[in-house]
Amino acid sequence: MSKNAKTSNSNAIIEVKNLIKKFGDFTAVNDISFMVQTGEIFGILGPNGAGKTTTLEIMETLQKQTSGEVFIDGINTLEHPWDVKRRIGVQLQSTSFYPELTLVELLQMFAAMYDIKVNPMEMLKRVQLEDKAKSYAKQLSGGQRQRFSIASTLINNPKVIFLDEPTTGLDPQARINLWEMIRDIKKSGTTLVLTTHYMDEAEILCDRLAIMDSGKIVKIGTPRKMIDDLIKTGFKREEKPKPATLEDVFLHLTGKQLREP
Amino acid sequence: MNNKTYKKPSQFRAFLSLAWYAFLAQTRNPASFAFGFIFPVVFISIFGIISGTTPKLIVGIATNSPSSEVIRVVQKQTASFITLDHEDEITLENKLRQGKIDGILQVTKGQGRGEHINLLTSTANPQNASELTSIMGNIVDKENLTLSGITTPPITLQERQLAGRQSRYIDFALPGQIGFSLLSTALFGTVFGFIFLKKAYVLKRMFATPTRALTILLSQGASRLIISLLQTFLILIIGVVVFKFYLPHGFMTFLQLCVLSIIGLIAFLGFGYFFAGIANDENSAGPLINLVTLPQFLLSGTFFPTSSLPGWVQPIANNLPLSYFNMAVRKITTEQGSFHETFPYLIGLLIWGFVMYILAAKTFKWE
Repeated sequence: MSKNAKTSNSNAIIEVKNLIKKFGDFTAVNDISFMVQTGEIFGILGPNGAGKTTTLEIMETLQKQTSGEVFIDGINTLEHPWDVKRRIGVQLQSTSFYPELTLVELLQMFAAMYDIKVNPMEMLKRVQLEDKAKSYAKQLSGGQRQRFSIASTLINNPKVIFLDEPTTGLDPQARINLWEMIRDIKKSGTTLVLTTHYMDEAEILCDRLAIMDSGKIVKIGTPRKMIDDLIKTGFKREEKPKPATLEDVFLHLTGKQLREP
Repeated sequence: MNNKTYKKPSQFRAFLSLAWYAFLAQTRNPASFAFGFIFPVVFISIFGIISGTTPKLIVGIATNSPSSEVIRVVQKQTASFITLDHEDEITLENKLRQGKIDGILQVTKGQGRGEHINLLTSTANPQNASELTSIMGNIVDKENLTLSGITTPPITLQERQLAGRQSRYIDFALPGQIGFSLLSTALFGTVFGFIFLKKAYVLKRMFATPTRALTILLSQGASRLIISLLQTFLILIIGVVVFKFYLPHGFMTFLQLCVLSIIGLIAFLGFGYFFAGIANDENSAGPLINLVTLPQFLLSGTFFPTSSLPGWVQPIANNLPLSYFNMAVRKITTEQGSFHETFPYLIGLLIWGFVMYILAAKTFKWE
């Protein structure tokens, strides 16, 4: 089958080639190419307006590129978007559920959209929300909503899941909890692509990173390598980092367990 | 791994599920519940109560009025009069000018049993004034005949009524109320519903699944269809049980009304989709919808018959989508016609719907 024709790198689950996206005169994504390896957590960093979300949405088949190609699991997203949609899970930046439906109902609804059968309680258990099964989506806290959102991306047993700023607005406890969940998903063999504004998050969580600015990828590699490359140029922090951060203080005082109603 | 073939997802299962859950979400939303179910009940109750009372003429008689045979007759006819005789002349005249009462009877005693009646009416309510004048004329004529001792007058008038159904306001208003609810649900419900789904990224999240856009669009319409059928049931049940709304062929008429409601909603949904497609926020959508619904509520015979409109408005009024729907419903209820007589109206309705679906398809914006 031509649509399943393998691309050059046999370990890559995502391949982006010369991707360009223009909105009128504005070039949101300016000729970027990169690959995501099967089973890794790949982070896209960058200031607001760098083109992170646009890049993500093109990979998710939610937007069409101006030119260039994206292959997910070897499938061209423009030519076979429906085959791609079946293989991916998508978490958007904002709330994206009917506020007046319960979590179980929402999972049933999504299962029907993929035409598959799920066990909603099992899915909720996976994201520690089984006691919220009968709650409406609007009654969830920020952290619970993000966890539920991740549960909804796992419904179709996807090969890749995309998370757009999954920890924005969460308290440190909820953030740590979500990181654990993301690592669990990685352990099950799923590839994750996420965007974030938090450097500590990128450093701790991501196997590899792409840093975007003004629609371009300015650097790509492992967090360790990026830091080493910078140090090699003679870069030094003005102040020596202390062995603990304010976040360590905060977590030391308030504990790591989740705070939820 | 790559050659693994996926089952093509059933759009029908997605459609049913999306329609059901969209319906469920609407019933749990207090605002849409109030609009959908409480308003129609309030309206229909008001119409029912209005149509139960026939307006009476209010006649004032001053407290210092002398005793009079004619006034005694007037006071006995409580079916058509309310008499006030406990107020002075000046108060009564003020009330008459303000239109609060319909007339004042002033009596001057003449010789023997003769009396002179002065009937004061005002231009505040000309219709009631002329009715009152004619009733008073009749009463005075009858009294004169009796006083003259004439028992067999040379000219007689006999009135004979043909059996017909008494047409009450509820019989007129209820069909209009069904149309009103359908149009409101199709427009306000669909447009505001879609704006929310766009804004909250619910639609976008759905687009990331293998469910087609058309399936999502149609399932939204289907959820309004369930709501509308429930509204029609509710209005008809309250109308029939509480206010004795007349269904000429009983359950058959009920079923026909359901079919009409489905066709009506499908046509009105064309407008809903069109505005849902072009509007991106509530502030611009509200006035746009009112621009379409308000004139129809006024001109389509929802609250009063189109025949009372000026001649030049009628060709417009009679060809509005809601007019077609109202005329079709009245054809099989108040006019006791058979179902096939509604076809011309249904065709008009479907042409409107078809045009709007085309426009919607050409202009729909998902974000």
